[in-house]
Amino acid sequence: MKLIKIEDFTFYYSGAPRPALEEINLEIRDGEFVLVTGPSGGGKSSLCRAVNGLIPHFYGGKVAGRIEVQGRDTLKHPPKELATTVGMVFQDPENQLVATDVEREIAFGLENLAFPRDLIARRIEEALDTLGIADLRHRQLYELSGGEKQKVAIASVLALHPRVLMLDEPTSELDPHSAEEVLAITKRLNDELGITIILIEHRLDRVIEYADRLIVLNGGRVVADGKTGEVLSSNYHDIEAIGLGIPPVIRLAHELKSRGFNIDKMPLTVQEGRAMLSRVLPQAYAHLPRPKAKQNNKPVIEMEKLWHIYPEGNTALQDISLQIDEGELVAIMGRNASGKTTLVKHLNGLLKPSRGTVAVGGIDTKETTTAELARRVGFVFQNPNDHLLADTVAEEIAFTLKNLGCKDTGSRLSQTLDIFKLAEHQSQYPRSLSGGQKQRVALASVVAIQPRILILDEPTRGMEYRLKHELMDFLREYAGRGNTVILVTHDVETVAEYADRVVLLSNGEIVADGNKRQVLSQALLFSPQINQLVQAFTEYGIPDDILTVAELLEIIK
Amino acid sequence: MINLRYRPKGTPVHALNPFAKLAWVASIFVLSLLFNHPVYLLLLFLSTLPLIIAARIWRQWVSLMKFTLYLCLAIIIINALVSSHGVHLLWQAPFQLPLVGTPAVTLEAIFFGAGMCLRLLAIISAFALLTFTVHPDDIMLAMLKMKLPYKSVLAISLSTRFIPTLIEDAARISDVQRSRGLELDRGRLTQRLKSRMAIIIPLLSNSLDRTVQVAEAMEARAFGSGQKRSFYKEIALKKPDIPALIMGLIPLLLGIFIWWRGMGDYQYYPALARLGFTGLEGTLLAMLILCLVMILPLGLARKGIEVD
Repeated sequence: MKLIKIEDFTFYYSGAPRPALEEINLEIRDGEFVLVTGPSGGGKSSLCRAVNGLIPHFYGGKVAGRIEVQGRDTLKHPPKELATTVGMVFQDPENQLVATDVEREIAFGLENLAFPRDLIARRIEEALDTLGIADLRHRQLYELSGGEKQKVAIASVLALHPRVLMLDEPTSELDPHSAEEVLAITKRLNDELGITIILIEHRLDRVIEYADRLIVLNGGRVVADGKTGEVLSSNYHDIEAIGLGIPPVIRLAHELKSRGFNIDKMPLTVQEGRAMLSRVLPQAYAHLPRPKAKQNNKPVIEMEKLWHIYPEGNTALQDISLQIDEGELVAIMGRNASGKTTLVKHLNGLLKPSRGTVAVGGIDTKETTTAELARRVGFVFQNPNDHLLADTVAEEIAFTLKNLGCKDTGSRLSQTLDIFKLAEHQSQYPRSLSGGQKQRVALASVVAIQPRILILDEPTRGMEYRLKHELMDFLREYAGRGNTVILVTHDVETVAEYADRVVLLSNGEIVADGNKRQVLSQALLFSPQINQLVQAFTEYGIPDDILTVAELLEIIK
Repeated sequence: MINLRYRPKGTPVHALNPFAKLAWVASIFVLSLLFNHPVYLLLLFLSTLPLIIAARIWRQWVSLMKFTLYLCLAIIIINALVSSHGVHLLWQAPFQLPLVGTPAVTLEAIFFGAGMCLRLLAIISAFALLTFTVHPDDIMLAMLKMKLPYKSVLAISLSTRFIPTLIEDAARISDVQRSRGLELDRGRLTQRLKSRMAIIIPLLSNSLDRTVQVAEAMEARAFGSGQKRSFYKEIALKKPDIPALIMGLIPLLLGIFIWWRGMGDYQYYPALARLGFTGLEGTLLAMLILCLVMILPLGLARKGIEVD
């Protein structure tokens, strides 16, 4: 049965010169699991908002063509009338919850539709059970973690019994573990309740195995649409050219295929990847040349028996002793609340040790101020919106330089604008730029002072593949010039490709510290896809610490 | 940082019906405005303390009061400088200002300022009890019951809902800007205010973005669908709550009676009046304070009964 029918749909945001969606023709059947992907600005979010009527009823703008949802024209039916057919879950759980506790949050939509109290009670019960969050029922929303909040958001939409659930990058604000849980829930809703799922994601690696159908949008147009595996093999180059991240297993399959190996079906999971590799491997492999470890032990950061206890009394770090050298690119990893951010906040004096010492460039952080340390320690936080305060990009970058009393502000400014390709935007309002550009401005405003140590908190979260690699190439090069780069991240694949060293934290303690190969291979939650894949082939003589597609390809002739 | 969050604690004060607490707070509020007399105002303030202690919100209350005291200090200073009524001159400026004349500080003006502060302390302390011990959604429901329009009430409730988020945002942004070399507590006052702007601008811009997203999410959940909405939770006034409600209103009636009889007024200007009472006035005042505190035992009786 056709649930959603989109015919020649074109949409302009008001005042926009180019359409956000252009001549879209799609049909979505009842019970499908559709993954919609594309670069930012490609039209993914606009498509979703058109299906539940937010476009044009909330956004205004210019519309042509039509969309029918269960036979109802979205131009004639505003979102509030479609709410019981199409449910929508948004990106940031913080910004879609309106009540103060879980029960009342789930009740909100039902109350709007004037459901009687006993029915609301029943629906709440049902929604809590479906999501497996009955224990959260009486909790206050501010106490919940991001993942829990997102589950509450899904429950509150499900309570309206929609036929379609649309999720707009629902995991981009979550840690990998919670993200996994939320995605597994969507799969279960699709399997068990037959709810049609439209999932918007630009990261394919975690979701691709769930989707029956893949739709790729670029420049407001549908560039590919079909069965997931088929689209990935027939449109591989298009998807790559758009700059989307293709999961390592699929990249491997594609590379093998282009080298003449017989790959009949695109593997979507690690398991399918193993099956593929077992057919390929007996044919040929060689030994992997290992680059020698760098010998440069000039420490710039020395932590000695560092403890941090927050004023409320919980111990965030215990007995951390860590030395980081010049020129190292270090990833600090660990689950949420394992102490990663607390640790790095000690490096520029935002936090001071409760016990133990932290020395940066030989200076004890207790003896100095954050402003003083800012000259040698740059800190880029996750959300560029927290950085941006000036009227123009140039002023934004100059702000940091002025704070630190740099003398050659002018030359540093123009140099920084060049490095980050921001010269053409220098007199624009930074907040009006695209997400990727904003991130560059935030980074530029910190790198402008050329800090010897550069710390980045979750720099790649929610970032597109291409931008991610541009950033990481820059950081690699920055570390190559003798600077130290420290990443706090959950992004295993990026770490596998770019970092030198990984420090793994758990409950405020260092549980592993060393070369990335040593730490990431067989690390379960923190091992990259390719490493999971090769674990089954060690008896073929394949080293069990291979991390990336490129490395694996090197040993397959 | 002042923490205005409600926390369920299950004390007798928490167990009181929201309407009863609302009536009680309204009593203190109205009487604080009616009376001028510093002793009356002081006693109104003191009568909030037993409930604050019983509700175990002492620590939150203290941090709020610290902030209020700063405000008080400002009120006293400004009033002393601006008001030149009063006959007991303490200080006179050696210069003249256009329009205002010669600035002068009088004893009466300082006492008047202090009296205003007592009034402010009583009102804020009473409202603290409300915000710390009544679920914010219950306050919203109570307002709706009193026929306030839903959309206005929701707007108020949403803004309280986002206060914790706003505080987190502010802390995060302050870390970001300090890492960029911003020094918040250096320089002259104007310099410090300017540094604060580096936090306030991103904070406001982020909040604006948030507002649009929240509006969109509400729309997608059938908000404003035209029909009258229903309410899942109901705060009903059940029979056992009636005594507490009456107990919350008695002080108001008694206080209005006292005021109507011309008591509770006080002359600050031109010279401070004597602080004495007649026997009748003292008795009535003692009764008033007793009534205000008497709501507490009623909460004890209500505790243990399921409140929904």
